[in-house]
Order: sequence, then structure tokens, then C-alpha cells
Amino acid sequence: MRWTKLGQIFTFDESPFTDRFISHAQSPQALVFGDFVRIYFSTRKKEEGNFVSHVQYIDFTKDFKKIIDYSKHEVVSLGGLGCFDEHGIFPFNPINVGDKIYGYTSGWTRRKSVSIDSGIGLVISEDNGEIFKRIGNGPVLTSSLFEPFLVIDGFVKVFNNTFYMFYIFGKKWCEPTDKHDSERVYKIGYATSRDGINWTKANRSIIEDKIDENECQALPTVIKIGSRYHMCFSYRSMIGFRENISNAYRLGYAYSEDLITWTRDDSKIDLTRENNAWDSSMMCYPNIFEMDDEIYLLYNGNEFGKNGFGLAKLDK
Amino acid sequence: MFKWIKKGVVFNPTELSQRPDWMNEFSQAPNTLIFDNFVRVFFSTRPKRDNDGQFNTYSTFLDLDKNDLTKIIRVSKKPVLELGERGCFDEFGTYPFSPIKTDDGFLAFYAGWTRCSSVPFDISIGVCKSSDGEKFTKLGNGPILSSSLYEPFTISSPKIRRFNDMFYLFYVSGSQWNVIDSNVEMALKIRMAKSKDGFNWEKVNKNIIDDSLGEIESQASPDVIFKNGIYHMFFDYWSSKEFRKTKYRSIGYAYSKDLVNWCRDDSKAGISVSLEKNTFDNEMVAYPHVFEVNDKIYMLYLGNEVGRYGFGLAELEGKLQ
Repeated sequence: MRWTKLGQIFTFDESPFTDRFISHAQSPQALVFGDFVRIYFSTRKKEEGNFVSHVQYIDFTKDFKKIIDYSKHEVVSLGGLGCFDEHGIFPFNPINVGDKIYGYTSGWTRRKSVSIDSGIGLVISEDNGEIFKRIGNGPVLTSSLFEPFLVIDGFVKVFNNTFYMFYIFGKKWCEPTDKHDSERVYKIGYATSRDGINWTKANRSIIEDKIDENECQALPTVIKIGSRYHMCFSYRSMIGFRENISNAYRLGYAYSEDLITWTRDDSKIDLTRENNAWDSSMMCYPNIFEMDDEIYLLYNGNEFGKNGFGLAKLDK
Repeated sequence: MFKWIKKGVVFNPTELSQRPDWMNEFSQAPNTLIFDNFVRVFFSTRPKRDNDGQFNTYSTFLDLDKNDLTKIIRVSKKPVLELGERGCFDEFGTYPFSPIKTDDGFLAFYAGWTRCSSVPFDISIGVCKSSDGEKFTKLGNGPILSSSLYEPFTISSPKIRRFNDMFYLFYVSGSQWNVIDSNVEMALKIRMAKSKDGFNWEKVNKNIIDDSLGEIESQASPDVIFKNGIYHMFFDYWSSKEFRKTKYRSIGYAYSKDLVNWCRDDSKAGISVSLEKNTFDNEMVAYPHVFEVNDKIYMLYLGNEVGRYGFGLAELEGKLQ
């Protein structure tokens, strides 16, 4: 897959969101409309000393040259007291389902012995994606016997009349040491559903490790081109990923003919970090989408998308 | 109304002259397995509060003489199950613990406790197995039944049963945390799930027992026994709004012909707090477990402070019908 980088297309610090939020535009995810493309992302507030992620969006012209509108309201409310999504929603994955738009939320809740746990929820919009409402207060996908925690990063697509959700689940929380806090390890899994609401997990990790068994794999995104399924994701080392560029997030790639067996080959993604650029030390949270016969990839750059996101386009 | 003859306290860990650190006080949530020569009672107990001022809870067992259920013949020296690993749903407690005999050993469903930041805890139900009924091993590090779209948190109080080749899990789930007098409190309701194999569960997704105290009623310990052609459920209930003040919990009763539709009739339960002062159950009767031994029906239940000073035994006079 040969990509042409189109550069950073959204800079948080120069955006109208600085009035209401302090930083970040993480995990950009596109929903294509007739004459514009809406990009949802998660941005942060500081509430009672903690960062809390909220979902917002901006509407671009289809050439990405102009922002024509943006959310000035609450797109998805956070969960109630004690709910899985009480302390933030990040990422947010939109998908057209009939005449509605489903939004798969990754909800965060703070814990005592570890920093967080999470779950994947469902919210639905009946107004073209401006406001999403819950159909229940709990998650549609959460921890289970072999996926004990940190179920998050759901990405949903319909293939062959079946809903597929690619997501990640936690494998372990390592014990803290003098050098680092308790850090987590997570892997990519998938689940299927007939209705997008009731899910059956495959209960296995589908992408082999490249770094080591503590490799952290995040935010899978999948597209079908011809007869082949392509997956892009980000991956990093368990520790030192914030300060050490060689341990930080970069993009990985895998392909499959049947959505079950995946072959990893990161060399095929052909999208690497560049010196002195907005994505020089980190590339993460990819989202692949198709628009008017072109295939695009949104992603975050340095500092986990603290100052925005960029775009690449697949060469024909 | 059923007539229960109280036999007094069976076990109070605080009366043991020597006891392990993890069994400092409390013997909660009794559930039995009937063996040929003894009745094994699983229960949950606590060490002293930890550095954060909080309790962990362990599950363990003791064996009663089958011919005299007030006589303890053995107390386990170890918990039956380890607490969960860092970040797991059962890191801070495994309680209650509900065992069942299967074709090749034993399975047990237990509630695992973790600690949260905005509310005190969350709870999900785990599963473990055993070949000897003494040492149980978890089947995975995660829960077998956890929160879902219509059950957002605190999936707890499991009671596993098997009827007509189907597994039934009776449990409770929370619907909303409420801030009451600066404490966060929750109303818990009795729910049910079904499974063919004990591993893949289908939730019924509804409250199966009507409220008698309104929405603020909390229910727990949905203990079901089939006897004389009918399913009987004993459970306990309290007002989530008044509990901290009144410390009052009562035992309720419902019956069903199909396990799905239940008719609540607390007036039949027949067991309530003792009227004498200074008895272990003069403020509270809670967490009933009803079982049959030698053609007699018994109930184990918790007394004051939800079993801080032990559980007691009652024997049914007459039939369960």
C-alpha cells in the first residue's frame, strides 16, 4: 500500500475548540456525507484535576481544504455515576446503519489499583450524526473470561451482512517498578454480530506480535479493497513509549482473505515517521475510509494527537 | 406461613481462639454442597481493614456433621480461591461463592470485587472449578458474567442452580448509584441468566422479583430450591435509602412454576429478627440459603451486621409447599 502524506489537516491550538477544551484531537474517524466529510475525534477538558475526553467533530469540504462547520454542543454525553464511560469517551467510531448512525464509544472509568478500565458502548443518532443517545447505560462489549480488562478501541464494519468489530483487550497490568508505573499490555481481537448490538467474541488475539510479547496493539481499522481485507493499527512497546521514540507508537499493517486469519507485514504500510514533522516521533490511531473512489487514512502524530491530526491518501 | 425453628449460631469466626489473619471476622453468604457424610458450607470472611481502610473478602468452607448440623467437624485452613491479579475484576474480593456439583467435579460462581474511583466498588461474576470441592481454580482471569447494555454495573450475589439440564444463574445487578446523605448507595435487583453449558450465558434482562419497597428496594441472595413441584426462592431485601440508619434487612419469599415468572409473597417467608436482646440476629436476618438434608429442609442465614458475628441455622417445621 503506497500512501501519499497530505500533512496535518487539523491543528487544535488554532481551532475554535480552544474555547471549551484544553488540548488534543485524538483518534479522528470519518463519516462521509453527500458534499462534506465529518471527522469525529476526542478532545480533552480538565475536570477536578483529571483529563476527561469528550467527542466533537468538524466538517471538511471533500478536498479537505476548508472547514465548513464544527460541533458547538455536546455530541455524546458521558456516562452516569459508576458507569463504564463516566470519565471520558475516546475513541468514537461512527457507522451508517439504515437511516441511523451508530456510534461505538470507548468509555473510560477510573480505578484504584490501576489507572483505568474501559468498555465499548453504543449510542445512536437520528439527526445525521449531530447528537448521539444511549440505548442503555452499560457497555455492549466488555471484559469476559479470557479478556479480563481494557476492552476498548472498537471499529465496526459490515462485511457479508455481518457486523464485525475489531477492538483491543487487555492481557496484563505489569507491576510498577522504580522506573515506571503499572503499565498495560493489550492486543487486537474481534467480535461478530447480526444486529450491531449483541456481539459474539472470537476470544483470541488475531495479530502476531512484532516487538515482543509485551507489544501493545491499538485501534485497528479495516477496509476491503478488491477481495482482500486490509488492517492498519498502531503499536508500541509496553514501557518508555512516551519519551523514547523507538518505543513510541507507529503504524502496523496486516491483511486477510477471510477476516479470520491475518498476516502481519508492517513493511507494506509504507507510512513512516519523518524527521522534524508533526508526526516525527509518533504515528497512532489510524482510521481508513473510502470517499468518492479514493481511500484515505486519518491518523494522529506526536504526543498522541495533542495538537491535531493528519491525512494520507492511497496511491492508485 | 412457613414455620422455621431457629437453632442458633452455627459458626462465628470471632469466637475462634486461634484464627488466621484472613478470617478475622465475618462469615457471610453461606452456600452448601451435600456430601455423603457431611455438609460443606462455603462462606466468605475478611481480614482486618487494609492500609486504605478497606476490606478484602475471601471465600472458604467448613464441614458440618450431617446428623447434627450445629456440629462443626472441620474448618478449612485456606481460602478456596485466590484473589485476582492486578487490574482484574476480583482483585479485592471473591464473595459470595456459590458451588454446584457437575458431572465431573464442581463448578462455582463467585462475585469478584474491584475498587473504583468515583464509587466504592464494582462487581462482576467469575467462575472456577474443582475436582475435590476444596481447592478451586479460575477458568480465566476475567468474569463470566459482567456488565452489559441494560445491566451497567455491580453484577453480584450469584446463586448457581441446575434444573432440567439447564444451568440457571440467579444474581443481582445495580441500576443506578444514588448519593444519599453523602454516601453513594445503590438499589440492587434480582435477575437471572440461563445457560446450556455453564459458560455461555443468556441474560433474561429483567427484574424477576417485584419490589415491595419501591425503586429504592435492594434485593440479594436469590436462593432457589425445587420442592413439591414448585420452585421456591428465599432472598433478602432492604431499603437502600434507609439501610445505613436502620441496619435492617428482611428475608422475603417468592415461588414459581417456570423459573421465569415469580410470585412474591413475603408473608410466607416465616423468618425474621429475634425479639430477645443480645442475640446474633436481633437486628437483621439476611442472605438465606435453603437446602435439604435427610428429608429435612434447613436454612442458613446471616445475623446482625450482615454476618459479622456468624451465620445461624433454622429448621423447617412441615413441608416446603
